[in-house]
Amino acid sequence: MTQVLIQGLMLSGLYALIAVGFTLIFSVGRVLNLAYGAYLMLGAYVYYYLVQSLHMPKIAGMVLAIAVGALAGWLKYKLLVKRLNGDAVAIEISTLILAVVLQSGVVLIFNDSSKILLPIVNGITRFDGVTITHNLLTASIMSWLILGGLLYFIRYTHMGRAIQAVSMDTKGAQISGVDTEQVNQLTWMISGALGAIAGVFFASYTQLSPSMWVTPLIIAVAVVIVGGIGSIVGSLIVAHIIGFMEISVSTFIGAELRGVFTMLLIIGVLVIMPKGLFGREEL
Amino acid sequence: MEKIFTTRSILLWILFAVVMCAIPFLAGKGFLRICIQAFFLAIYAMSWDVLSGRTGYVSFGHPFLVGIGTYATAILSYRFDMPLIASIPLGILATMIGGTILFLPALRIKETYFALVTLAFMELIYQLTQVVRPDLTGGTRGISGIESITTGAINNYYLSFGLMFIIAFSLWALMRTRLGNALSAIGMNEEAVKGCGINTTKLKLFAFLVSALVAGIGGAFSVHYFGSLAPRNLFDINFLFTIIVAALIGGSSTIIGPMIGALFLTFLLEYLRPWVPGTERFFIYGIVALLLYMYRPSGIYAIFWEVVDKFKGKNASSIKDSTSIQGVK
Amino acid sequence: MIKILKSILAGIALGSIAMTAQVASADDTIKLGFIGSFASDTGRSTLRGAEMAVEELNAAGGVLGGKKIEIVKADTRQDVAEGIKAYEYLAESEEVDFIVSGSIDDVTLGWLPRMVEYKIPTLDTWTSYIGIIDKLVEDYDKHKMYFMNIASDEALASLYVDFGKDILAKQMGWKKVIILQEDTAFGGAINGLVSQLLAPEAGIDVVDTIVYDVATVDFAPLFSKAEASGADFIYVIASVNSQVVASQYVKLQVPMAMTGIAVSAMGQEYWEDTGGAGGGISTLSPVPSVGFELDPISQEFVDKYKAKYGNDRPKYPHFNGFNAYFGVKQAFAAAEKAGGFKPLDPWVGAMLEQDLKLDKDGTPWMRYGFWKPGEKEERTGRTYPHNARFDITKPYDDGAPSMVVLQWGEDGVARVVYPEKYATGKFEVPSWVKK
Repeated sequence: MTQVLIQGLMLSGLYALIAVGFTLIFSVGRVLNLAYGAYLMLGAYVYYYLVQSLHMPKIAGMVLAIAVGALAGWLKYKLLVKRLNGDAVAIEISTLILAVVLQSGVVLIFNDSSKILLPIVNGITRFDGVTITHNLLTASIMSWLILGGLLYFIRYTHMGRAIQAVSMDTKGAQISGVDTEQVNQLTWMISGALGAIAGVFFASYTQLSPSMWVTPLIIAVAVVIVGGIGSIVGSLIVAHIIGFMEISVSTFIGAELRGVFTMLLIIGVLVIMPKGLFGREEL
Repeated sequence: MEKIFTTRSILLWILFAVVMCAIPFLAGKGFLRICIQAFFLAIYAMSWDVLSGRTGYVSFGHPFLVGIGTYATAILSYRFDMPLIASIPLGILATMIGGTILFLPALRIKETYFALVTLAFMELIYQLTQVVRPDLTGGTRGISGIESITTGAINNYYLSFGLMFIIAFSLWALMRTRLGNALSAIGMNEEAVKGCGINTTKLKLFAFLVSALVAGIGGAFSVHYFGSLAPRNLFDINFLFTIIVAALIGGSSTIIGPMIGALFLTFLLEYLRPWVPGTERFFIYGIVALLLYMYRPSGIYAIFWEVVDKFKGKNASSIKDSTSIQGVK
Repeated sequence: MIKILKSILAGIALGSIAMTAQVASADDTIKLGFIGSFASDTGRSTLRGAEMAVEELNAAGGVLGGKKIEIVKADTRQDVAEGIKAYEYLAESEEVDFIVSGSIDDVTLGWLPRMVEYKIPTLDTWTSYIGIIDKLVEDYDKHKMYFMNIASDEALASLYVDFGKDILAKQMGWKKVIILQEDTAFGGAINGLVSQLLAPEAGIDVVDTIVYDVATVDFAPLFSKAEASGADFIYVIASVNSQVVASQYVKLQVPMAMTGIAVSAMGQEYWEDTGGAGGGISTLSPVPSVGFELDPISQEFVDKYKAKYGNDRPKYPHFNGFNAYFGVKQAFAAAEKAGGFKPLDPWVGAMLEQDLKLDKDGTPWMRYGFWKPGEKEERTGRTYPHNARFDITKPYDDGAPSMVVLQWGEDGVARVVYPEKYATGKFEVPSWVKK
């Protein structure tokens, strides 16, 4: 039982970190960024290249990975999202195409064999027969800190309130003098940066591979759908539901059914309560 | 209500068939093989377009529909030695029934969420084929050595072209009826259609059934052409990508668009092979698709019209035509 | 609106005429097709092995009366549909005479019906799936153009049982095993073979089997389950994403030994790819594996390979690189004897006669040859038509062993630990595992 509790808590932290950048874009831009997984891939590969191939310090690798993620987010907004002028379906499809293009790009540069990212934080602790890697522990703590910081930023800073305003009502926000263009750019950059951080941690726990964008995208989609659209707190709770569900299924039922239950949850929630478990609240 | 069949349009369809049937006399077998791939892709793209291009309900689960037809007929013929004449229709039927049971609840969900729930279906079925009865589905390895309907490039060319032609013609005729118009109207404004006292749920179900039928035909016939299937290949985002892109860059909401798109994509990919045999091919292909979609969302078909009009020095006529062929957003 | 149809039709007709003109190949060349994934280390190994063989044959004056060999490549991206298209392209657009493949299992199964249709002699260097050999057993005439230049997975598993008996049971004293198997057909097949053979023959009990989904992100709960099962060691079967399970085992410092099959550990790039987080992992591997001592002729191949491709992945050929190099030479030698690749029967007969025995220090070391139809392997009592000739009984002088067990030390060096004749190191448990 301790084992399920500890492992569930840590995996959920990782999932929350993965989902939060996706949620943010969904609530502000009202668009599904299907290339979100590509931020994770970009961040992870940049970190891998800098730290494991060029032997730069880890912190530098992390900072640059985040910068690349933010830049990717900004470029995506400028070149793609803005051009398509908020057409949700067109954005979905073009981000899907973009993700597939980026996947080929990664294969071209790094070849398609999977690679392992070393832990960002070394060491393990054994507690009551359960192994805790400091790496995953850091990822969980980071995700809590980042989520907390994000909530604070959105609720209590001027810029954050502007984001919130845009997420509730774009036109209304515009009328009351919010620079929606600036807000959008910033949101896409934050989302890209968060994706890159999540990517480095996700890859350091699993692996680097050109198709690694799919799994986190599905996790993010699941969290957002089940949680209700654009609710950060809702996403956090649902990341824990999904994380604990996966650990419990692996432990008590059968590891091969891990993904089946997540999919059933998505479909069930969408069909029965399309607004998600927590509906739409403020950010 | 305009007349469905004008003499001119029928003549053009006949001309189309005659020219395509003449190709095997002119081209090499390698060329025919590429055509066959394109024809099957065109069938999937038309199937996607009936549902998503017209009604605006974007399906991310089309590989799922194709997959049901593929698996059903493959299992029946390979595992139970059922003759193809029975297994293929059963496979198509299974697509319609299975698709309806699973997709139906999703049809009341809108836009983005519809896309996501269909995507989730695709992922679910991918995971299930490996877990449930792998002795039948072949698990991750899939099934190889499935009976073929006919062999050789030329025979299969005629078979696949025949299928595509019949489907294209039927869909074209169907879309010229009142029903077809109503479907496109849903894509523009579902509430307004409802307001006119039309039962949109029934209409959407109809579009879905037609889409599933076409996907089922494509899936069931293609598996007996390719001779093997693998889940990793069928229920795959890359496959989904190809179907959607073929429909969109050809010209959504038209019949000819998905066919052009499928031919264009397939030939682009195959003709790049001698120059860039590796992954670069897919990189270029993806970028071409992205740029075309970003800058010409109405598709190659519409570009063609623009060019023709520019050539003739006319501007006005293009608007008339392109509204009748686009009409998605 | 339909008038543009005309123009499209004209365009298609023009295109097809252009295409016909493009075909037509010169008579003074022989075309060899390569089918495999360009971006993977294994695909590249096969391609390069074939390229080197072709270079040597061309330099020696060509084949079949002075014709030069030309290589045509077709990428599969490890994707089944792409594999089928690639085979069609080689067969019908390029009209190649012979195909060498570096495809993975499901891709080979995908294009196999095409091979049967086109009847092109095809040499496979990576797939080891016994199901394909079974197809030759069932319907030899239909599939006889196929040769598999690597011991089938069943042969790998049969010899692996000896490792279980000699090392795991006798040397380590382990009695109970828990199997950690990926949810793939490969995983299921190997698990079946291991649990049916290992238990009775080596006296090791299978206490439990955990089947996991290949997209599993987190192995912590599975390792916890394994620890709680009371088994002495974990037997892992991983071909897809096998780095994840291996590296999480190392990162979590799971306090029990783990051995089995981890496909990613079979290449020299493993250490670099895992950033060193892969020490202690052992896997069975087809021969010649990394860390395998080579006979002089194979060594010469490796030296030339390194000189030619030394800066580009894979810097050291995988086992299938050797298979392709020797196999392509044999295929052309057979063609010389039979007077070409067509008709099929004489070539198949000549290919079956090919037999390259490589000695090291006066003892039989490696062998490249094939099982003939109807020829029974003594230990398993079954036939393996057109499968690489392997040997699964000591002292392995009737062929190469079907596999070796190799282990990556925590120092980053791969060593062969079984069978004894080929061993360069001893099987050890990782330092963090209490003995």
